[in-house]
Amino acid sequence: MSSVLAFSIFGVQWQFLKPFIVVGLAFGSVYALSGVGLVVLYRATGVLNLAFGAIGAGGALIAYWILNHTSWPHWLAYTTCVVFGGVVNLAYGMVFGPAFARRDPLVKMMGTLGLALILLGIMAWRAPIGGAFARFLPLPSTSHIYQVFGTSVNLTQIIAIALAVVLTLVITIFLRVTKLGTAMRALANDREITATLGVPARRVEAAAWFGSGLVCGAAGLILPDLLTSLDYSALTFLVIASLAAALIGRLQSLWVTLLGGLVVGLVQAVLAPYTSVTQYRSATPFVLAIAALLVLSRRRVVSISRAQ
Amino acid sequence: MTVRKAIVAMALPVALIAAAVLAAGAASSTAKVGTGAAGTAKCGLGNGKKATGTPIKIDGLDMLIPGVDFTTVGKVAAAYFACVNDNGGINGHPVKYTLYTEQLNPAQEAALARKMVQSDKAVGIVGNTSFAECGTNWKYYKSKGYVVIGAGVQAECYSTPSYVETNMGPRYSNIGAAQALIGAGVKKIAIASPDTISAYADSGVAELGSQKGVQVKIFPTHLPVTDATSQVLAMYQFAGNGNGIMLDFTPDTAPAFMKAAISLGIEPKVKWGSSTPIANTLMAAQFPQFDGNLWINQEFSNVDPKVGPDSALMFQILKKYAPSIAPQAFAQMGYMDAKFSTIALLNIKGAITAKSYNLAVRSLKDIKTDMLCKPWYVGNALPYHIPNNTDITVDYKSGQVVVKQGCFDIAPVDKQLTQTRVWEKKYHLN
Repeated sequence: MSSVLAFSIFGVQWQFLKPFIVVGLAFGSVYALSGVGLVVLYRATGVLNLAFGAIGAGGALIAYWILNHTSWPHWLAYTTCVVFGGVVNLAYGMVFGPAFARRDPLVKMMGTLGLALILLGIMAWRAPIGGAFARFLPLPSTSHIYQVFGTSVNLTQIIAIALAVVLTLVITIFLRVTKLGTAMRALANDREITATLGVPARRVEAAAWFGSGLVCGAAGLILPDLLTSLDYSALTFLVIASLAAALIGRLQSLWVTLLGGLVVGLVQAVLAPYTSVTQYRSATPFVLAIAALLVLSRRRVVSISRAQ
Repeated sequence: MTVRKAIVAMALPVALIAAAVLAAGAASSTAKVGTGAAGTAKCGLGNGKKATGTPIKIDGLDMLIPGVDFTTVGKVAAAYFACVNDNGGINGHPVKYTLYTEQLNPAQEAALARKMVQSDKAVGIVGNTSFAECGTNWKYYKSKGYVVIGAGVQAECYSTPSYVETNMGPRYSNIGAAQALIGAGVKKIAIASPDTISAYADSGVAELGSQKGVQVKIFPTHLPVTDATSQVLAMYQFAGNGNGIMLDFTPDTAPAFMKAAISLGIEPKVKWGSSTPIANTLMAAQFPQFDGNLWINQEFSNVDPKVGPDSALMFQILKKYAPSIAPQAFAQMGYMDAKFSTIALLNIKGAITAKSYNLAVRSLKDIKTDMLCKPWYVGNALPYHIPNNTDITVDYKSGQVVVKQGCFDIAPVDKQLTQTRVWEKKYHLN
């Protein structure tokens, strides 16, 4: 059996690639999770939230503070991290959502960039990097390690993958079978007509902001553990990978977004042992997003020519 | 379904997973390695009188980017100058030290250099540390006759006349750590540095490896680090059991790799080397798993007040003037930058101007301190300076940093170091 599996992929033995696949799937799941949160919000409100990473980082820093500077229980720290995402997202949506409702998607997006920069500034002020230490936000689940197909997998990695799949499934069902989900989809198609038909647009949008914020908080809780450090700048800019996943899903399809996130994470990790390309791994989200956009735009041209 | 129910429905999976996460979790060495004389060190004149004269302008420029904060050097230099000002200043004149930060933007670095020299009219530049500033500004400083006393990182800090550094920088520190690892018997070394300095910082180890028959593989790393686990895994797969992995990162970044190594269970399987920055007790306390298995090249003496008077004074200064900064290698750099600058200022006879100050800096030689293995110097008209080229190896032990190997010469794998040692003897610099 072992001889059957002793093949190599571009010079790296399969045996050595397996741990990278695990790491990549775990990271990819969080990218996917965040991507799904971005898509849900975009579909309901037309806002592409660039502050996703910064909000998650803020929640993680608060959880870190609770764990290290208070005697409060751990569950409270983790819950606060998740709820912080929901509350900040909701607050932004309620305060700035109506003001930006009639503006271009680009203007709406730039508004969230402002939120990201404000949060970054607050984090730099209240929790500066430097000194002689680093921050960590380890989850207790990481110490549970299992052997799967001959490679080690920890429970946090399993949770990350499960959370991405379960949440995508739940949101898909929710959007299809619930009144609120239908209202969200209707808003995405035409806000004015939907509101005219009696749908409480602001309440529906509030639900989207809050729900997407909870997802953001959950990602902020899991990512520092996978990153093995609580670096708020790294967390903030990981929104790029999530955006790539969302773009691969054309800001429409939750399942393609899930797949896109997994592929981004997987490719990024699996390139690590390949010396010639390893230092370009950080470009993976851009490359895959651009490739996806090119393929999709090509398809569109074909469909238009057919229509003509 | 009401909005409230919907929110609960969306929150439920998140809460369930959070619950699953929760359920799952139901001798410091005092070896004296320095060159300082026994006794007590003092800030400047050390007379306890507050300086009230016309301020002397000194400026500094440190890099501050996501993942790397070099402002510790400048902040400790500022603390030292504050202590000088409380102790008579420079013959009654306080030092007014202004620290600027830059974000690896060459235009910004160049503009700030011109601001410090032309607009602020600083007589000297002290405490600079950056991945790129030496390369951007050395020609400008040379044209203005300035010699910056700082802590270097990139090649131009050690190959141009405009800078004299109190540290030896990552290239020589990495070589020192590699020497220690090779001495410990490793046959392969995987080394990682930030990609912006990797070519300079890691190539010395590669050259040493080829001389000693040790395989070396370089892993340039983009900051901030976003997948330490994959990288550590790749480094381990190259090195293999019993061989060496070297980290060349600041305490902001190195812990991610160390945590990843622990979570992968590989920390006891290889020998770990590092350049200076992680030689501090906070890191030692955070990572007991690495006790006895680290070969950290420490460019200075061990960070311990018992080492000698300068070390003791640094601890006192940090406590009084910069309590938020932990004693560490970057603090030693800032302390020495300001101390040596103060010596130059006090050596000036007559008016303190940019010309007289930088001339005084060039005249510095045989400056003894317990923080360095050999006396420090600048040396008149040298085309470049590497005055710190002998150091020690340290390790973690029970939350402390301990000396593993006393002072040794960094292997001269390049011409600059060979030539430096020739100058040291020829001009009696130390």
